[in-house]
Amino acid sequence: MKRYLVFTPAAVATTILLATRCGSSANTSSNNDSSQSTGGSTGQKVTLEFLQNKPEVVNEWNSLIKDFEQQYPNIQVKQINPPNTDTTLQADLAKGQVPDIIAMGADATFIQMAKNGVFKDLSGAPELQKVSPAYVKMLETEVGKSTPYAIPYTVNAVPIIYNIDLFKKYHLSIPTTWNQLMQEATKIKQEGGTPFYNGFKDAWTIAPIWNALSTNTEGSDFLKNLESGKTTFSKSDVTAADQLRQFVTLGQPNQFGVDYNDANAAFANGKSVFYAQGIWTIPVIRSDNPKIKLGTFVVPVTNDPSQTKMVSGVDSLLAVANSGNQAKEAAAMKFIDFLLQQKVAGQYATVAGLFSTVNGVKNADPALTPLQPYITSGRVVDFDDHYYPAAMAAGNQYESVLQGALSKNQSTSQILQQLDSLYQSAAAHQ
Amino acid sequence: MKSLRNSLAFILMTVPMAVLFFYFHTWPAMHGIVLSFTNWNGFGPYHFVGLQNYIDLLHDKQIRHAYVFTFEFAIVTTILVNIVSLMIALALNAKIKLSKTFRAIFFLPYVLSTLIVSFIFNFLFSNLIPSIAQNLHLTVLAQNILGTQWAWVGIVIVSVWQGASFNTLLYLAGLQTIPEDVYEASNIDGASTWMTFWRITFPLIMPFFTINMVLAAKSYLQVFDQVVGMTNGGPGTATQSNTFVIYTNGLGGGELAYQSANAVVFLIILVCVAMIQVRMTRGREVQF
Amino acid sequence: MRKHTQTNWVAMAFLIVGSLCILFPIYMAIMVSVKNPQELAQSVLGIPSQFHWDNFQQAMAVTHYFHTFLNSLFITFFAVVLTVLTHSMVAYAIARNMHRRFYRYLYNYFFAAMFVPFPILMLPLVRQMSHLGLADRVGLIVLYIVYGISQNVFLYVGYLKSVPLELEEAALVDGANRWRIFWSVVFPLMAPMNATVAILTGLWAWKDFLLPLVMLSNPTQYTLPLVQYAFQSQYSTNYSLAFASYLLALLPMVIVYIFCQKWIVNNVTKGAIK
Repeated sequence: MKRYLVFTPAAVATTILLATRCGSSANTSSNNDSSQSTGGSTGQKVTLEFLQNKPEVVNEWNSLIKDFEQQYPNIQVKQINPPNTDTTLQADLAKGQVPDIIAMGADATFIQMAKNGVFKDLSGAPELQKVSPAYVKMLETEVGKSTPYAIPYTVNAVPIIYNIDLFKKYHLSIPTTWNQLMQEATKIKQEGGTPFYNGFKDAWTIAPIWNALSTNTEGSDFLKNLESGKTTFSKSDVTAADQLRQFVTLGQPNQFGVDYNDANAAFANGKSVFYAQGIWTIPVIRSDNPKIKLGTFVVPVTNDPSQTKMVSGVDSLLAVANSGNQAKEAAAMKFIDFLLQQKVAGQYATVAGLFSTVNGVKNADPALTPLQPYITSGRVVDFDDHYYPAAMAAGNQYESVLQGALSKNQSTSQILQQLDSLYQSAAAHQ
Repeated sequence: MKSLRNSLAFILMTVPMAVLFFYFHTWPAMHGIVLSFTNWNGFGPYHFVGLQNYIDLLHDKQIRHAYVFTFEFAIVTTILVNIVSLMIALALNAKIKLSKTFRAIFFLPYVLSTLIVSFIFNFLFSNLIPSIAQNLHLTVLAQNILGTQWAWVGIVIVSVWQGASFNTLLYLAGLQTIPEDVYEASNIDGASTWMTFWRITFPLIMPFFTINMVLAAKSYLQVFDQVVGMTNGGPGTATQSNTFVIYTNGLGGGELAYQSANAVVFLIILVCVAMIQVRMTRGREVQF
Repeated sequence: MRKHTQTNWVAMAFLIVGSLCILFPIYMAIMVSVKNPQELAQSVLGIPSQFHWDNFQQAMAVTHYFHTFLNSLFITFFAVVLTVLTHSMVAYAIARNMHRRFYRYLYNYFFAAMFVPFPILMLPLVRQMSHLGLADRVGLIVLYIVYGISQNVFLYVGYLKSVPLELEEAALVDGANRWRIFWSVVFPLMAPMNATVAILTGLWAWKDFLLPLVMLSNPTQYTLPLVQYAFQSQYSTNYSLAFASYLLALLPMVIVYIFCQKWIVNNVTKGAIK
């Protein structure tokens, strides 16, 4: 009882003191454009909420934002990097509070938002002239309208990343066919090594390899036919699912118990020869082990090397929300102009380990050199899952299905049936 | 005149809160029920689709599995939490040294955030146990349990670790209401400890047992934090609880209307469970 | 000090094992948080040669600890104070009017709501709150007050049955009105139950994850648990940093618990037996 008496007045005093401070900021932020401007700000300051979905580059964005804010002292940019962008954005949509600028992948959530008029129509914007028209087109195709709702900023690719030292140790050569890749992997396994390290505890990490396999084997009209009901996963993706199951047998024993971060660290520390992930992982691997020597090759999905295409999609696009607030939209365009400068775009692409879409910017990373010809000559194919219905692709839905089926070692037809039923349910309820 | 002022005072004490409660609780719930008959995806136009969402629910394997997991988890956890906390309470009520210290330790998990506790256990299962097992060459344990079909066990463990504290407290309170001479009487009779427990202690703390069962079942049927903190529903859909599915698919996947229908079914089931529990405990004095 | 009763060693052994089970994850968390990555790679559980407290400093900077702490404190404080003030009043009016149909129905209405699962409100609520401009800390406080009422009115009404009417009647004869009676006579008499409700509400608001997750859209308003979730991906494999941050998030409540342990335990128990 005595303790209680001592505790209460002190606690009440401090809490009231603190609460009044919090309370005042709560008042300023009860309207939509939130965010208390710290310090004594003079003049009209525009605060932009900037959502980006890549945890690997939070610090890089912070430093770009700092540079930008120095050039434009009246614009403040606040980065948001939610752990689950899809859910956050959908919740924001339901609330009618979309961030002012969004840098995200060209995925199902983006498509759904663009179709519903969330983003500003950028037709005629001079910024579009600064980037590769092929990827502007890709975004328009995804949305299904010939209106540009976003500017492509960086593009990614899904290769097989390999550890050069281990690659030499096993006397391997760059595989150009699926059979060759499997033979090499089997050889590594027989000699006691680990061919592939997988971080499948995070379901989404299955997506890159799945997209590489499915886009190359299911036929180019698959998505159109799927939508019109002419085909199903069960009919068209048997090869891809077979290959995926084969691939999983060559991963480390605990592959469904290791998450993305731990898998990166393990590969960086020489735990496996190959790593099937997007090129965005390369900077992370290097930060885990700065001394590692990395190489890449396109996933040789088919047994006819001339037919293999590389999966490459828009990794980050820049879109401006239709806020109706002129000052904000203008400030957002200034930020985009800043980002599209060759120097800034090149710096970001290098740090993020991606290819820039800005004209004249090249990624000088030697590890990415083998992939450049595919990008340049357009031997690329977009991610399949960008075209899956939102309820199938968002929130790791289909990846979870694959994760569950593979961890239980289910058959190809079981896997594909589950994808089909997920597709039917998702298509019906959105 | 005075009684009128009296009743006016009572009205003013209750009505504002009742209005707020209706507006922030019952109104959105009703809104959810209405939405469940539409095809709304969270924004944009929508129209009524009758019972279509409910019909689809019947064929939805993911949702059926979420119900199965939710109930299996809730039943197993409720039983384990009650066994463990009753045992701890009995031990704490026995003649022991350091009883205050022990009490403080056993109640500690209750003040910790479930999500953070789940993160800590996630590391324990994902990194600590596999690495120890590898060093000891125990290949069975070298697997992260959260990546296998036994992932639900991990979630049960974290829930029992944290959930037992509150129930222990209630059982202890119950045990302390039993006067000492009751035990003494049974000691004279020469009854064994086991028999004393079943014949005397347990019937006397029966009301606390039912409270604990009801409270635990209610909270574990809505399990969410542990799932997010440890498995994110995986592997596959193995540990997706119904609350988790409604959150991820409803808010993230744009299935707002469909998941509203799911939530309505969930409501009906929970009300049935509550009614069964109330009926089973009828006649007993439950005060909580 | 020696009592003549014998210590129950079976119970002692059981409690020691149980305590170790409780303390082990906490010990592990502390050990992880004070190491650098190299030491962590060598041994998770060992005591390091040097304690890296700078992990905590770094975690504070990364998660804007004090700001986040104040968010949690602001929400919890107002939720607790307003809950105690309003719910005791509602319960008093109900308890003294149980013979009237309106109040009986109201009581049953609140009670029945206890069985309504949150998921059914979740989706429409998110939209409703943001239309009102309440998808923020203030809105969260409102929701904690509103959603706690089922349980708290139940607790208060149960407790009020044991509060004698004589004092109230005496005050009524003296000409005091209901408000005066409530604030100066009944409210102080309910002090033990006020404490119980305050603790339960405080712990709930402090620990809650789902409501802040769906309600707060502005990261500057995030609460301590929510920030741990939001920064999960940024910790990457720097587990020491992550665990320092987890421990910092748990610390305030643990400190309160250590100093008010007896008071908290006693009052939570009271909710059950009174």
